[in-house]
Amino acid sequence: MVAGVYPVVRRAYLPVKNGLEQTGEMMILTGKTLVSAIRPPHPYGTEFVQQFMFVLRLCWFPLLISTVAICYGAPGLQAGNALVIFGALDRLGGFFVLASIREIGPNVTAIVVAGVGGTAITADLGARKIREELDALQVLGVDPVKNLVVPRFLALMIITGLFNIFAVMFGLFGGVLATITFDAPLGPFFATLLSNASTTDLWGSVLKTTLFGAIIAIVSCYKGMTASGGAEGVGRAVNQGVVIEFLAIFAFNYVFTQTLLATHPEISVIK
Amino acid sequence: MEVPRDLLGSLGDIAKFCWRVLVEVFEGRTIKFFGETLRQAGILIIGSGLVIWGLAFILGLSICGVEAAYFNRSIGAPAYAGWFGAWCDLREAMPYAFGYMMSAKVGTGLVAEIGAMRINEEIDALDVMGISSLTFLCSTRLLAAWVVLPFMYIIAVGVGFFATHLAIVEQIGEVSSGGYSLIFWMFQNPPDLFFSTIKGMAMATVIVLVGCYYGYTASGGPVGVGTATAKSMVLNTVLVHILGMLGTQIFWGTNPRAPIGG
Repeated sequence: MVAGVYPVVRRAYLPVKNGLEQTGEMMILTGKTLVSAIRPPHPYGTEFVQQFMFVLRLCWFPLLISTVAICYGAPGLQAGNALVIFGALDRLGGFFVLASIREIGPNVTAIVVAGVGGTAITADLGARKIREELDALQVLGVDPVKNLVVPRFLALMIITGLFNIFAVMFGLFGGVLATITFDAPLGPFFATLLSNASTTDLWGSVLKTTLFGAIIAIVSCYKGMTASGGAEGVGRAVNQGVVIEFLAIFAFNYVFTQTLLATHPEISVIK
Repeated sequence: MEVPRDLLGSLGDIAKFCWRVLVEVFEGRTIKFFGETLRQAGILIIGSGLVIWGLAFILGLSICGVEAAYFNRSIGAPAYAGWFGAWCDLREAMPYAFGYMMSAKVGTGLVAEIGAMRINEEIDALDVMGISSLTFLCSTRLLAAWVVLPFMYIIAVGVGFFATHLAIVEQIGEVSSGGYSLIFWMFQNPPDLFFSTIKGMAMATVIVLVGCYYGYTASGGPVGVGTATAKSMVLNTVLVHILGMLGTQIFWGTNPRAPIGG
């Protein structure tokens, strides 16, 4: 009996142990990144600008299409349908504060930055690891964390926060399209939107996406820098990285959103 | 002008490739490799089931659960949180959760796997041995996805429902379990489940085809496989959102099939 159970337990235990080890290593990488971002010297200015422009060029168009599409479909048409039954389509603007600013804007930004920018960063760092460029850097006395991870970390944090504003704006454009689909005037949409929107919602949204950016950067860099050899190595690293990022983003979103809602009851009062 | 032209060119290539894979499936050439199809189906269940259901659980908990409870409290009808949860889970959040995790886990996994075969010249070896590599590698995977994924999708919907119940009834707790269930199940109907499954399956089909394309045409060593994996994720992210929007527009449009109203 015991002899039969043992291999099963071991098989279940090994992935758990592996996952815990990787989580720990990512935490260590986060700590190292934070310390070396603050401690002088700061040689990462050029790389920071390059990475910022790289992610900006890659992500802006997919993000535009994605936010307009999801905000037109999910909160626009579905919630609009429900509000039409109650004869209160003008309330769609108020609903978009919840939908676009609090949930969909930040989450779609994170999904697109992880899926488009994060994968590109993992592939890039993985390629350098496979070509042994990272080892060469270390031999030359250049710290890979300071020169490669820190600029990506800062660039992704800032750009994800800024992209959030962009996503919220195009999400609202999706809401405008939905309002036009229902043959309703746009004035009430903006009136309820602006009377319900609060500063707390906006800073919560930007803070949330900035932290999403930090998660994406750490996971992408960790997976890229630990890519193993073989033809499948870099591809597998990208695959695992994006899966971890998606799960981590939504788990973090759950904790953050409900903390924000519970500690700031004034933002969920309809005005 | 260079970028749009390249984009259109590669979209045309992808469409041509997808057409060939689909024709092979519909002509029944995968029957010859039925064992391989079953093996791929098993890999899908064991390798991807848990993460897909995990993401469905988290999304059901946060967006459809907590937000539903707070939104319905704010309009003064906390007992009607089940309505928000029902529509949000079935019609929007679960197809997107499924699409996101399929593209992250299965789509990029296919590129890494088939791309490595292309780099190691295993695909050329298959062709030399007289086995159609397209049928053996891509069509079997597509058929396996069609065989297994509807069931995995419906389980994901169930997991999402469970998570929403957990968040609204157990965690926030402003509605009784019976009151929640009454409203929740009143706003469900069989066509909704059917349309939602079609939405999820359309995403899954596109993701498997895109994954197979980028893997099958990978070049340039291990680095090339990594780049192709990243590229497939870009296309999948955009396509999932576009398909989600089209599905909502086609299946629900401006007729929500609600049990209330005139």
